[in-house]
Amino acid sequence: MKGTFTLLFFMFLVIGLQAQNVTVSGTITDAETGEGLIGASVLEKGTTNGSITDIDGNYSVSVSGSETILQISYVGYATQEIVVGNQSEINIALSLDISELEEIVVVGYGSVRKSDLTGAVASVKSEDLVKVPNANPVQALQGKVSGLQVLNTSGDPGATPVVRLRGITTLNNNNPIFVVDGVIIEEGNSLDFLNANDIESMEVLKDASATAIFGSRGSNGVIIVTTKRGKSGDVRVNVTAEQSWESVANKVGVMNGREFATYVNDITPGTYNNLDILPNTDWQDKIYTKHAPIRSYSASISGANEKVNYYFGLGYFYQQGVIPKSDLERVTTKINTTYNITKDLALGANLSIALKDKQNAPGVVNTALRAWPINTPYNEDGSFAEVFGSSNALATIAYSNNNTKSLESVGNLFLEYKFLEGFSAKSSLQFTFGLDKNKSFTPAFYVAPLQQNETSDISQKYEDRSFLLWENTLSYSKVFGKHRVNAVVGWTAQQVRSESLTGSGQNLLRDSEEFWYVDAGDRLPENEAIATGASHSTIESYLFRVNYTLLDKYLFTATYRRDGSSKFGVNNRYGVFPSFALGWNLSDESFFPEVDIIDNIKIRASWGIVGNDKIGYLDQYSTISSGRGAVFGVNEQLYPGATFSSGGNPNLRWEETEQYDIGVNFDMFNGRLTTELDYYNKTTDGILVSLEVLGYAGLGAFQTIRYNAAEVENSGFEFNTSWRDDIGDFTYQIGFLGSFVKNEVLSLGDVGADSVLTAGDIGLGQRVSQTVVGRPIGFFYGYKVAGVFQNEAQLDEFPHLSAQKVGDFIYEDTNDDGKLNADDRTVIGNSIPSFIYGFNTSFGYKGISLSLDFQGQMGSEIYNGKQAIQSTLSNFEDRFLGRWSGEGTTNENPRATQGGVNFSPSDYFVEDGSFLRLRTATLGYDLPRKWLSAIGAQSTRIYVRGTNLFTWTKYSGYSPDLGASNPLDGVLDTGVYPISRVYSAGLNVTF
Amino acid sequence: MKTLKAITFAVLFATLFSCGEEFLDRPPLAQLTAGTFPESEEDAVLATNAVYNILRSWSFHAGGFPILDIMSDQATKGTNPGDGGSTAPFEDFSFDPFAGHISAWWATVYEGIRRANLVITEVPSIDMDEELRTRLVAEARFLRGYSYSVLVRAFGAVPLVTTVDAPLDLTRTEAETVWSDLIFPDLEYALEHLPEKSEYPDSDLGRVTKGATKALLARLYLFRGEFDMAETMALEVINSGQYQLEPNFGDAFSEDYEGGVESIWEIPALPENNANGGNQYANTWAIRGTPNRGWGFGRPAYSWITMMQANDDPRMDASVIFLGEVLGGVVTEGEGPTPDTTYNEQGAIIEIEVYNQKVWHSGAATQESFGHNKRNIRYADVLLMAAEALNENGKSAEALPYLNEVRERARGGNTTILPDISTTDQTALRQIIADERNFELAFEGLRFWDLIRTEKAVEIMGPLGFVDGKHQLLPIPQSEIDISEGRISQNDNY
Repeated sequence: MKGTFTLLFFMFLVIGLQAQNVTVSGTITDAETGEGLIGASVLEKGTTNGSITDIDGNYSVSVSGSETILQISYVGYATQEIVVGNQSEINIALSLDISELEEIVVVGYGSVRKSDLTGAVASVKSEDLVKVPNANPVQALQGKVSGLQVLNTSGDPGATPVVRLRGITTLNNNNPIFVVDGVIIEEGNSLDFLNANDIESMEVLKDASATAIFGSRGSNGVIIVTTKRGKSGDVRVNVTAEQSWESVANKVGVMNGREFATYVNDITPGTYNNLDILPNTDWQDKIYTKHAPIRSYSASISGANEKVNYYFGLGYFYQQGVIPKSDLERVTTKINTTYNITKDLALGANLSIALKDKQNAPGVVNTALRAWPINTPYNEDGSFAEVFGSSNALATIAYSNNNTKSLESVGNLFLEYKFLEGFSAKSSLQFTFGLDKNKSFTPAFYVAPLQQNETSDISQKYEDRSFLLWENTLSYSKVFGKHRVNAVVGWTAQQVRSESLTGSGQNLLRDSEEFWYVDAGDRLPENEAIATGASHSTIESYLFRVNYTLLDKYLFTATYRRDGSSKFGVNNRYGVFPSFALGWNLSDESFFPEVDIIDNIKIRASWGIVGNDKIGYLDQYSTISSGRGAVFGVNEQLYPGATFSSGGNPNLRWEETEQYDIGVNFDMFNGRLTTELDYYNKTTDGILVSLEVLGYAGLGAFQTIRYNAAEVENSGFEFNTSWRDDIGDFTYQIGFLGSFVKNEVLSLGDVGADSVLTAGDIGLGQRVSQTVVGRPIGFFYGYKVAGVFQNEAQLDEFPHLSAQKVGDFIYEDTNDDGKLNADDRTVIGNSIPSFIYGFNTSFGYKGISLSLDFQGQMGSEIYNGKQAIQSTLSNFEDRFLGRWSGEGTTNENPRATQGGVNFSPSDYFVEDGSFLRLRTATLGYDLPRKWLSAIGAQSTRIYVRGTNLFTWTKYSGYSPDLGASNPLDGVLDTGVYPISRVYSAGLNVTF
Repeated sequence: MKTLKAITFAVLFATLFSCGEEFLDRPPLAQLTAGTFPESEEDAVLATNAVYNILRSWSFHAGGFPILDIMSDQATKGTNPGDGGSTAPFEDFSFDPFAGHISAWWATVYEGIRRANLVITEVPSIDMDEELRTRLVAEARFLRGYSYSVLVRAFGAVPLVTTVDAPLDLTRTEAETVWSDLIFPDLEYALEHLPEKSEYPDSDLGRVTKGATKALLARLYLFRGEFDMAETMALEVINSGQYQLEPNFGDAFSEDYEGGVESIWEIPALPENNANGGNQYANTWAIRGTPNRGWGFGRPAYSWITMMQANDDPRMDASVIFLGEVLGGVVTEGEGPTPDTTYNEQGAIIEIEVYNQKVWHSGAATQESFGHNKRNIRYADVLLMAAEALNENGKSAEALPYLNEVRERARGGNTTILPDISTTDQTALRQIIADERNFELAFEGLRFWDLIRTEKAVEIMGPLGFVDGKHQLLPIPQSEIDISEGRISQNDNY
């Protein structure tokens, strides 16, 4: 837009200044739509003489002679040149410019031409973002960007995926930040206030050169989201509708009733004498809904002219979820507007508002896997029956009522003023306001002694969050002959605040929903509770960046940011985050041989430091809290008390990540083959990690203090290549991307439990993960199984634990000291994949298109914790069917036991998490234009799509693409809400 | 010129937009920062109450689970065989320095010590009512002295922390030094400055007293074999006129006699969650299954039950809940996965599903057991301590009345059982008093210490797995050794 107006202004100035000989006129149209293009430039090449097209695309220009070359250009379209000859009417149809080189890439605090880019930045466009039927647009990035992992901790509707860019950088929060139209999203990786249909593109900033301008926010990478804006021309209306059905892709193999009873008989002979009369309940079938619907509708209206640019979007999303009472309903609105008050002054507002209503899923997955298959859900009188092994999952669902309603509004208001030549000042006030209302009601019920609720309970929680950021930037952009300079300097101040209020009561008057308020409880003081929470933090920053391009060949970028954070003490408040980057368009050099097949080669190198302050707002403080009361008196009464609560570290300072990146871009065969290669190395030092402290310091059991303790290195190689071509009407495209990553802990500092960080709690006090120097973060740690003791002789021969008997695992005496004890536990697995990849292909023929997206990973392992926990006699997974039952029967699986020594952490429970998944397969048809004119539509597309159709994996759980929200844990499967397979059909109409 | 303008603008821009340093000051909300508390009389009371608060902390009592009783011959792990894997090693002494119960216990006792240190170091300089100030400091010193007495008995030499912020380079201080430099000075200060139970207003029942200090001292002197001082302290409690036995044995722990005449030191609690005044101590022991009162850890040992049955001792019935027993109108059914009777390979009974009745609470809700007031020192214990000290000091005849006072109450008027003891043979009487403690004070966390101090541990607990020269002390938590990089050393043979 800006460019067009400048050009327009310029054109008016020059018209009429030249002596003219020949007049040429004609119409400039869009090659695709056939419509006239307003404001296209028609220029006599090598001069400043020219004209621009009117509202219908018509132009008229006087040129010096028949040998004149006319250059026709329009923003976003490929420029065309034509020799005038003796024509007096020249009509040109311009095509959209698909050349990658002219693409504009959005970076922090501005945008650059892709050819001028020095950093490692990947871009994903809107058509790829709407492919996955999920409330969170981040899901669509899975398998689309090399070095980026999008992993699921849960298939719960609206669940936030775990996003990891270029490995695991830190021991605390590894989430990249999202920046939506310049608004930094403070809430980790939750983008679920956005409808994917409203997004134009997502840019993933990977190296320090690209992220350092975000300073403390950029340490784990930055994902910039640009939402759609109006395009000049007619009002554009877009309507989409999609209906999907989801089902659990696979069940976990557990024993059926007969198998279970037989197994129990092996443990305790004679428990079940008549196997034929035992019921057989498949608890997974009982809890999972098949073909649960997902509905998604959206509509948008957009347009633009010289004065105003607008986009209005409205979306509705509903997902029932495969587990009852886990549904999500969401309404999103999007408003993007810019007003050009004068030619130098623009005012704009971007606003997203999302209303969500989420039923918080009852935790029944493990319940169903553990429940005895010989129990039935109902008694003869229809009431819920007691279920051993876990509890009655259907009763849990019936009595669970937990709902969160939220309102999230994200937006900014900005004023931009252009002055002098090339200067522009912008002031932007960004905000995120969130309000969550949670309500949980449990009626009084009795199913069994361990599954009952004595009195009905209500809990209501209100939480509000506000994020305010005021950014003031001054930009300068200028071309001096061979030099192109673009610089920005800015100051920003940010404040984040949240408060919550929780109240609870008991013994409600009635159980129906109209009574789900604390007021309906018995109001007895001892049955009521109230609690508040509050936090606040601030950051003040100065930022600077300069991009310099010489002769379109030599590119240089430098950035500087200084952040002050309230989370650190006065002496360590400020962090400085610089970066430098160089780029060289090698193929533009005169010495570069003129090879037809090579279009462009660019070499990039960057270095920079980014910081991290993603810790609690008061980690630096040792605090004193009330609420530590004591009971005294003949009539016992609680008297208030106050003392130390959390421990703090006043010496906390910024965690810093230093990153190098070397990359090269190739474009070959007239843009048909594009390839991008990057190598990076990043080292994070002073990692902010919570460590257990000396018990005698008196902080209390399980208390930790935050320290700058560890150092972690990630290095890796990334590639992204794609080939696109057409053969007549047949078009096709193939893309392949991948990344290799190596993660190593370099040091764990000299405070706290420096030798070993133990994590990975799977229950029953079993902790299966460790982090030590020289290894990846959060590897699995336990015994190595060498087989099964076949007889007493073997039991005597090998060192063993005192509790071990014939039929139990032979654990390896790894230190060869002739004794088996805790010292023999060793490295048994690693959940960080060595190779992550994705490939996609699409074919098109006369409006029919088929696209397939695959993604996968190799070398990752999962600790199958749901198999390893046997706290009480519960159902077993089917691998235990192959149990040892006498000498020579098997060397793989142990004898039948209820729990005990064979369930200690060991590599028996470590499974290969490698997988290849057909993430989406879409078959679409663009209706021919002639059919559409009748309804006035410009384009109409119908499609069917499958998501998660096939997964090739050896993993026995629901899904191998599990993520670790705490990197120290590694990837543990403790029984999560399963990921589903989805079938969809949709319609997209543009008027 | 243009450049100059740009620079001017940039400088203007930079100076225009900058916040004061206070923009980056975001102190804790709803909390104070350490160093600003306590500073008034009100604060002093709050800080002292918070030391008492730790007594209701679950882990303060042997790490939460009743491991002292489980290690002794009075109780087994309890609950069902598949439950409580981390507690099971305390049944057969197979625990190691990684045991979570031990590190939780250690850390929680030190948490209480830190809270006490805050009162002891800060309150004396507060301008406030002098009498109250002295008393609050004395209360804190009692609780600190008690905490250290737990540590040295369980772990031997321990880091000695007397400041709010512990130096991070401490090593273990010899147990004898902890006794002489901290425990006894603290308790002597408390003895001098604390009021008697009767001198407190009714609203302060539950605060530590002069009588509690003497009783605790008697217990500690006995542990150390200092029988003269033990005798003095126990007799002072007896002669203070502050305490007597409840006429009925069962009432000594019951909810109806909380803070009663027999109670020398107990921990008041409400049937609520911890924040609202509850204590999970009893819930950990209480009936698992039907009625659902708790987790069922610490099962009265079958051998203890048969011993009591052989004596026709009515205290057995008052101490143990059997399946089928009706309490408060509710039939005890226990839990399905817990076998009613467990046999060994020879077919002999190893254990039966029973529960500790000393923590029983009536009422409909599970939460009721959180209101159990744990009795730390009962008058019956003091009488038996007096008898033991007198006997050891060669005053066996003087010991008999105290011993027989306990037996008489236990007999409950039934003259056919538990006859008065009349022997003055020191050795015989020593055993009789030890047995009487076993009958009277079962499941109260005392038996393990009694066996250690009377050097009966190997004889009684050896068959359970107790190793001489090792299990007299528990292991120092491994995390403490790791974090201190070995400055904190391990006890022998772990």
